Amino acid sequence: MLTETKTYNRSDAAPAVALTKPGTSRLSDHYFSRPAQFLAILIQFALLVVIVDYWRLESQSLTRLLCLAFVGFVVHHLLPLRFRLPFFAMLSLLAVITGVGHLGPNVFAAWLTGRLALNDFLYHLVPGLALVGIGLGLIGLCHLPIRFGARVGLVAIAGTGLAFLRAHSQWFPDISEMWVILGSMFMFRLMVYLYDLKHRTAPFSPAHAVSYFFMLPNVCFPLFPVVDYKTFCSTYYNEDWPRVYQTGLRWMLRGVFHLLLYRVIYQFAPLDVYKLSSALDVGGCMLGMYLLYLRISGTFHLIVGLLLMFGFNLPETHHLYYLATSFTDFWRRINIYWKDFVMKLFFYPTHFKLRKIGPIRAMSVATLVTFVATWILHSWQWFWIRGTPLFNWKDFSFWMILGVLVLVTAIYEATCGRKRTLTPSRLTLRRRLILGLQAAGVFSLMCILWAYWSCQTWAEFEALLDAASKPTFREVLIVLGALVLVCVCGMLWGWSSRETSEGRGTQASRAPFRFWPSTMAVTAGSLCLLVAPSVVTWIVPASKGLVGRLHSDVLNARDMAQQRRGYYEELDVSRMDNWAWHGAEEPEGWSKGRKAFFRPRSDFLLTDVVPSTNTVLGGASCTSNSLGMRDREYQKAKPANTYRIVLLGASNDMGTGVKNDETYENLVEDNLNSRVPDSRYSRYEILNLSVAADSILQRVLRLEQEGFEFQPNAAILSVSAVDEQFIASHLRKALIRGIEPSAAYHDIVQSVISRAHVNGKMPAVMIERRLQPYVTELCKWSFQRFAQQCAQRGIRPLVIYRPAPADFSGLESTARGKLLAMARDAGLQVIDLSPAFDSVTDRSSLILAKWDDHTTALGHRLLADQLYKDLVPVLFGSLSIQQTSLLQKP
Amino acid sequence: MNTQDIKTTLKTFILNEYLPGEDPAALTDTTPLMTTGILDSIAVLKVVTFLEDQFHITIEPHEAVVENLNTLSDIERFVTSKQV
Repeated sequence: MLTETKTYNRSDAAPAVALTKPGTSRLSDHYFSRPAQFLAILIQFALLVVIVDYWRLESQSLTRLLCLAFVGFVVHHLLPLRFRLPFFAMLSLLAVITGVGHLGPNVFAAWLTGRLALNDFLYHLVPGLALVGIGLGLIGLCHLPIRFGARVGLVAIAGTGLAFLRAHSQWFPDISEMWVILGSMFMFRLMVYLYDLKHRTAPFSPAHAVSYFFMLPNVCFPLFPVVDYKTFCSTYYNEDWPRVYQTGLRWMLRGVFHLLLYRVIYQFAPLDVYKLSSALDVGGCMLGMYLLYLRISGTFHLIVGLLLMFGFNLPETHHLYYLATSFTDFWRRINIYWKDFVMKLFFYPTHFKLRKIGPIRAMSVATLVTFVATWILHSWQWFWIRGTPLFNWKDFSFWMILGVLVLVTAIYEATCGRKRTLTPSRLTLRRRLILGLQAAGVFSLMCILWAYWSCQTWAEFEALLDAASKPTFREVLIVLGALVLVCVCGMLWGWSSRETSEGRGTQASRAPFRFWPSTMAVTAGSLCLLVAPSVVTWIVPASKGLVGRLHSDVLNARDMAQQRRGYYEELDVSRMDNWAWHGAEEPEGWSKGRKAFFRPRSDFLLTDVVPSTNTVLGGASCTSNSLGMRDREYQKAKPANTYRIVLLGASNDMGTGVKNDETYENLVEDNLNSRVPDSRYSRYEILNLSVAADSILQRVLRLEQEGFEFQPNAAILSVSAVDEQFIASHLRKALIRGIEPSAAYHDIVQSVISRAHVNGKMPAVMIERRLQPYVTELCKWSFQRFAQQCAQRGIRPLVIYRPAPADFSGLESTARGKLLAMARDAGLQVIDLSPAFDSVTDRSSLILAKWDDHTTALGHRLLADQLYKDLVPVLFGSLSIQQTSLLQKP
Repeated sequence: MNTQDIKTTLKTFILNEYLPGEDPAALTDTTPLMTTGILDSIAVLKVVTFLEDQFHITIEPHEAVVENLNTLSDIERFVTSKQV
C-alpha cells in the first residue's frame, strides 16, 4: 500500500544528517559552533520574515505563512530525524487548512474571545478541509491494490471530474477558494508521482506523500515549481544542515530582491504599447516585459529557499537565466524544475521510442513533442488557476518558436559539440568575449520573443515594431550600450555549470561552503532592505512617493487603464487577501451604466451624456439632468443676478464614482452660494459639461457647440496629466469611425493625420502610437482656440490643473509643468490644484478601488477646498475670500 | 567482457566523443559526468545508444538518470546489472 519501500533501496536515500550527530563531531563543534550557527540562521530567518512583512510582498497570507514556517522550522530542527518528515507533513496540512480559508490569528482570537460563533469559525475550515480531503483521496487512488494501469485510469477519471467541478466552481461557493491551490498541488505533481511510483525510484510513505503534495509554501503560491518526487525524497538532509539552511536563506533573500526589482520594473518601465513614441521606448518596453518574469523567479527562489529550511536540499532554479549563452542554455537555466519535469515525462520516453529512426530525428521529434506538451500543460495550468482554458495561436506560436530555437541549438551541439573540460580551466579572454556576445544575442532575441508573447494581439506587437522602425543614431547607440552591458555581464558570469535537479540527488562534490561569510552577506542584505527606504527618503525627501509606490501592491498605469497583463501576470492570483480573486478586475455591475449614460454622436464630439438618466458608474449612483450634463437641474437661460461658470473636463471632473452632491464642482458651487463672494450676484452656478474621456479638443469644441449657449461668465478648462493620451485616443476613434473634424478644427487635424501617416484602417494601437509626436501641438492649438473663443465672447477663460488621486503613471510632475506652460503661453490664467492632496500621506486612499483610479468623495472635497480658495480671488477679488473648509461639513 | 573492459571501452568513447584533447588520466572511475555538465541530456542519449549497441542491453527512459550514469563506475555497475 502507501508504505511501499520494499523495492526501493538506493544508497543515497540515507540522509546525511547523521553527519551532524555529536558522536561524529568534535566536542567544541557540538557545544559551541553548531548552536552559534543555528542562532545565526534563526536571526537571518527572522529578518527575512520581517522584510516580507515590511515590503508587503505578495500577500498578508505569505507573512502569516512565514511566521508559521519560522516556528515550525525551530521545532522541526530540534526534533529527532525520524520525526521530522511526519512533522513537516502535519505542518503543511495545518498551513493548507488555515491558509485556504484565511483563518488568521484575528479569526482565531475572535473565536477564543467569543466574538465569533463556533459555526462561523468552523466555516473558515471548510475550504481547507475539502482540499485536504480531495487530495488524500487522489493519493489513495494512486496506491489502490489494483493494476497500475487501472490506478492511472481512476486518477484520470477523478481528475476529469474535478476539472469539471473547477469549471463550475460557482456551484460550490463555500469552497471556491480551494480550487486554485488544489490545482497547483496536483495538476502536475500527480503525473510525476505516478511515474516514480511505477518505476519505484523513490521511497513511498504517507509522510512522504503528504509532504510532497501539500508542501508548506504551496498554499500561498498558485504558480509553484514542479518539484520532482524522486529529487524531493533523495535530497532530504543529504548534506550538512548549516549548508542546507544557509543556502535556503540566501535563496530566499535573492527571491525578495527579485520581487522588489519586479515592483520597480512593473511600476516604472514603459510597458504601455500605446504610449511608445521612439525606438528607445520600444527597447524599454521589450526589456520591461521580459524583466517582469522576475516575479516568477523571485517567488520560486522564495519557495525553494523555504523548502531548504526544512531539509529538502533541492536544486537551484533560475540560475542567472538572463545571461544564458544559447537557447539550450536558457532552457537549462530558467525553470529547471519544469525542464526536468517535461524531459522526464515527455522527452526521454518519446526519444527512447523513436531512437530507431536515428538520433537527430528522434531528438527533433522528441523536442517538438516536449514543447507541444509544454504549451498544453501551460493551458492546463491556466485552466486550474483562472477557471477557463487558454488555447490561442499566440501561446502556441510562442512555445513552437522557442522549441525550434532550442532544437536548432541542440542539433548544433549534438553535431558540432560544445567545449567540455575535465578540469576547471581559466577562460581565455576570447572565450569570454564569445560567451558575452552569445549572452547579448540570446538576451535580445528573448526580449523580442517575450514581448511577442506578452502583447495582447498581433496588432499590438506590430505597433511595437512599427515604433522602433525609425531609430535615431542616439537611440541605436543607447540600445547598443545596453547590449554591451549584457555582453560584459555574460563575459563575467555567463559560464554555467548546467546543474540539473538530478545532479543534486547524489552527494556530488561541490565547492567548499563558507558558512559565516554567507551569513554576513545575508544579514547585511536584509538590513539594507529594511533600512534603505528610510535612508533614501531622509537624504532625498522627493523620493518618498517613489518608495511609497514600491511599498504598495497596486496596478500600474497601463493595467489600471487596460486591466490586462502577460501570461504570468494574469495568473497572478496570489494577492487574494488584498485584491479581488482574479487580480483587479472590476466587480460585476461596477460600471453597468456606462452604455445607458453615454451615447455616441456622429460628429467630432463623438460622445455625449444621455439627458435625464439615472444609473451606476464606478459603483456610485450617477444622474444626468435634462440638459445632458452630469449635474443638477439648471435653466438653459441664465437667471438674473447669476454668475454662471461652465466646467469642461473628463471623467474625474464629471464625478465618476461619487454621488451628484459629492462632485467637486457642486461642492464649490454650494460654497459660493453660501458665502456669496461678490455682492453683485445672488446666485452662482457651475454647469458641468465634462464627459468621460473627452480630450482637450473635444472640451473646447463642446464649449463652442454647447457651452456658450448657457451664457457663462467664465469657462473653466480642466486639464490633467493624462490629457495628451486622450487626444491620441480621440483622433484614433474619429479616424476608425470615419468622422470628419468640425470645420474650424479640420485644417489642424488633417495636417496632423497627414504628417503622422495614419488612416482608419490601421490597427488602433498603431494609430495612437504614430500620433504621439503631435499631441503637444494639438494641445497648444486647443489652448489658443479656447483663449480666442472666450475672448471673442467676453467670457473669462481659466485653466485648472487637476492632479490625479494617485500618480500610477508617474507622469504628474512633468506633464503638469508642460501643460501649464502651454496654457500660460496661450495667455490663459491657470490655477494649479496640485496642493489639494498634499495632506494625504497614502495617495492610493484617494482612488475608488484597485481596479478604478477615479477620485473618491474625499478627493473631491479636497479638490473643492483648493479650487474655492484659488478661484474666488481670481474671479471676484481677494477681499471676498473666506476660508472655508468643506471637509468640516458633515 | 569484464568490468575493466567495460570501463575502458566507455572511457575511450567519452574521451573521443566529448573530451577530445583531454588528458585520459584525468578521467577517473569516479569523475562526475552528469553533475558537472560533461554529459548533458543530449549527450546522455548518445551514451545510452552507445551502451545499448556496444553491450547489447536495453535501457528504459527512467534508467537514464544520474544514479546510473554519473561516473564510469556507475555506468559499469549499471551495464553489468543489465547483462545479468
